[in-house]
Amino acid sequence: MRIRIAVLIFAMGAALAFSSGLPAQSAPAGAAAKTQKPGPMSGGIPDLSGIWDPDFHGPEGVRLNTWDPSDPFAAHPEKAPMTPWAAEKFKGVRPPFGALQTFNDTNDPVQRYCDPPGVPRIYMYPWEITFIQTPKIVYILYEYTKVWRAVYMDRDHPKDPDTSWMGDSIGKYEGDTFVIDTIGFNDKTWLDQTGHPHSDALHLIERIRRLDHDKLEIAVTIDDPKAYTKTFSAAKVYKLTTAPMGETLCAYSEMKEFQENVVDKTQTPPSK
Amino acid sequence: MKFKLFMVLAAVGSLAILSTPALAHHGVAGYDMTKTITVHGTVSKFDWSNPHVVVYVDAKNDTGEMQHWTIEFASPVHMVRAGWSKSSMKTGDEITIDTHPSRNGAPVGISSTITFILKAVVNGQALPSRSE
Repeated sequence: MRIRIAVLIFAMGAALAFSSGLPAQSAPAGAAAKTQKPGPMSGGIPDLSGIWDPDFHGPEGVRLNTWDPSDPFAAHPEKAPMTPWAAEKFKGVRPPFGALQTFNDTNDPVQRYCDPPGVPRIYMYPWEITFIQTPKIVYILYEYTKVWRAVYMDRDHPKDPDTSWMGDSIGKYEGDTFVIDTIGFNDKTWLDQTGHPHSDALHLIERIRRLDHDKLEIAVTIDDPKAYTKTFSAAKVYKLTTAPMGETLCAYSEMKEFQENVVDKTQTPPSK
Repeated sequence: MKFKLFMVLAAVGSLAILSTPALAHHGVAGYDMTKTITVHGTVSKFDWSNPHVVVYVDAKNDTGEMQHWTIEFASPVHMVRAGWSKSSMKTGDEITIDTHPSRNGAPVGISSTITFILKAVVNGQALPSRSE
């Protein structure tokens, strides 16, 4: 057992050490970073290395609650271009964000059950991400709930992929942009913070590129004809950071304790 | 001109409401974000854990009645990035803290999300704060 763990740790270490098939770009700090020219390419492909923090502050710190560009802050989430199937499903949601947000008995699968947020919803949370680029697979590591994905660079999708929380992802580089194509999702996750559903026919395109040395844009296109009458896209900006990724797990025991000790108290009038 | 100013204020106001401080894993529907009160008392417990840091404070209200306050902050990693730590306060410390109270009148408040940290003074020392 010990040997197995040792082998696993060694393998993970080796993967991290050698996975920079790309010349690694260390996340520069302080004044040195400011004097460097933007260096988004490395070996002919975009260099995504470093730790990226979603920009919730400053002029570009827009917090999106939906991917619908006509309603980014979810003032009218019921007006998204949903099919009757999706509209019916949406009627039952009790989201924790947006104009319809409630603290009372939310059925957000992440908040209620610690379900994986899935993509693309995970980009709406304020936690860091990082990329490990290898020639055959690009790994994306998410600080929130410590989940990761593998994006395969050397194959097509399986003809009939199993459904999963993160789907089956294949990728390619188009100039300065890393393009990810994902299918094979289950339909258990929400697309966004307001409970918009998706089906198992969801086809997700992510286009990731460095706007400059310190900024990364992740543009998401939702293509789900079973749930939406048209495709739609929105983007989020991340900034390069030196803050190491920390532990933000969704532990059910902690979530339950928080729900009882804090959230529930805001829902029941105090006894006199 | 007045009308224009009103429109601008209205637009800014609605943006502020709609883009309201997302917490890490939930919104702020349970709190009155337009109201800020100050709680002064003694820390009975400082819970440094996910999904949100929480401090429990024993504080007397205006009529001298002891209340047991529960005040939440952002997640531990976000508080660390703002300069806090698990040692920022401990049981028995004297605390004066601003908070947005719950809408239902319960002694529950929110003093930080990822975008702001309200003023907190522990044993006479101010902890790092941040405006929206």
